[in-house]
Amino acid sequence: MSTELKKALYNISALADLGQAITSENDFHEKIQSVLYVITGTFLANKGALLFYDKTTNKLSTLTQKGFAPADLNRLNPKELMSLGRNEPYLIGDDPVLAVAGAEILTPLWVRDEFIGALLLSGKLTVGPYTLEDLELLNVIANQIAIALNNHSLFMDLSDKLEENRKLYEEMRHIYHGTLQAFAAAIDAKDAYTKNHSHRVAKYSAAIARELGWDEHEIEGMYVAGYLHDVGKLAISNTLLNKVTPFTPEERAEIRKHSTLSHSITAKIKFPWKNVEDIVWHHHERLDGRGYPEALAQESLSDGVRILSLADSFDAMTSQRPYREKMDVQSAIGELRKNLESQFDHKVMLVFCKVLDKEIKGELPEPDILPHLDRDSDLSVISALLEGIIAELSTP
Amino acid sequence: MKSVQFSVASRREGDAAIIYPKGYLNNLSGENLVIECGIYIGKGITKIVVNFSETDLINSIGISMLLQIIEDLKNIKGTICCTNMSKLLRDTFEMLGLMQHMLVFPVESDALTYLKTGKL
Ligand SMILES: [Fe+2]
Ligand SMILES: [Fe+2]
Repeated sequence: MSTELKKALYNISALADLGQAITSENDFHEKIQSVLYVITGTFLANKGALLFYDKTTNKLSTLTQKGFAPADLNRLNPKELMSLGRNEPYLIGDDPVLAVAGAEILTPLWVRDEFIGALLLSGKLTVGPYTLEDLELLNVIANQIAIALNNHSLFMDLSDKLEENRKLYEEMRHIYHGTLQAFAAAIDAKDAYTKNHSHRVAKYSAAIARELGWDEHEIEGMYVAGYLHDVGKLAISNTLLNKVTPFTPEERAEIRKHSTLSHSITAKIKFPWKNVEDIVWHHHERLDGRGYPEALAQESLSDGVRILSLADSFDAMTSQRPYREKMDVQSAIGELRKNLESQFDHKVMLVFCKVLDKEIKGELPEPDILPHLDRDSDLSVISALLEGIIAELSTP
Repeated sequence: MKSVQFSVASRREGDAAIIYPKGYLNNLSGENLVIECGIYIGKGITKIVVNFSETDLINSIGISMLLQIIEDLKNIKGTICCTNMSKLLRDTFEMLGLMQHMLVFPVESDALTYLKTGKL
């Protein structure tokens, strides 16, 4: 694994650590302390401070800090901080107004139009400057802690701004999704041929789950599993992933490690959804037990696994790969149909055909699958094929 | 996420202190490691060996604790030696560029020999 990738994984797990610190059952002060440790540990900064803005007194107070002189922190003027970019890391340089001995970077914390406070960090122990990736990560982190702090202050106000809290929760989920998407983009970027694969598999899987009648929360979990199913590929060499000639048995074994790696990576993240790590782990299993990594069969495969397995295979078939041309949609559907019971689930297949058919017929306002299919496809032929399969699979 | 209760043991050998963290260095209880080192530093010890044989997992919080110890020792021109590190731990430190700020030895006795004689 290259150092860059290792660093990327370290940063991603830092975000998971941050989520863990924020949602832990510790009391507020311990949470805030953990949050600061996560941040200083992530950026290797030996000094750090989290400041909170009190609207009523128009003053900044230090929630927690290490390494700075308290008098320096007290001198900071909230007005000056408010004029900087929201949640945007600012390099202090020799700005006299914002000078705090030892501080190098200051990030004003905002939730929508509300100024919440600031995060201050020193330079890195390892001396090197903050990189562009560092600043991007710091921006994501700032968004998250701003929301966490704001939630806390709302709670402290004892005001029943329930609606506001709900909106904030939505925003937090939004950011969380943004992080996952950035993550998925990193996976897909590794392999020129799998561009947007994770994104499409997420969409297809969620569409199937919705048609199966799952509730919104469960659908979201399915979506996230789709996004992350191949995350283990981050640890596999680019040369191998982009190889044009057939794989040797050793190379095949190496590539097959990716689902187990996806499992160990996702298992470290505390998701609000059940089974994400199980689904990514087993997305290459088959109903007949001839899949990998555990050769599970039949009842051992959850519905989530069955959905992801079909969505993943369908997208793989309809995408170009280094070693083969892509299949047209009809052939791919025919291939799924041919491997029913041995590889793919009967019910999942039926539901997949139903959604796609509805999308083609314009019965679904926001199609998830259709927009990603080959534009040259003959939709009437596909629809006729789907109707045939639906009729066949619907008769007991 | 599973968490093993973190604890710290230590002993003195000549003018060095050897610290034994035990469990995952991934939450606030890792502060005990900083405190333990702080006690020895307070007694005038400038050579600290951290034996990682019973800690194979560290996250950003643990790294932050380690930064603190490195910083505290730097301020008194002291030395930190890390020994018995798992590959995962070594890889992490390496990737973060921490290796330049510590001396790394395969096992504890190597570190003690070095601190005593200045040689490997
Ligand atoms: Fe896969
Ligand atoms: Fe895949």
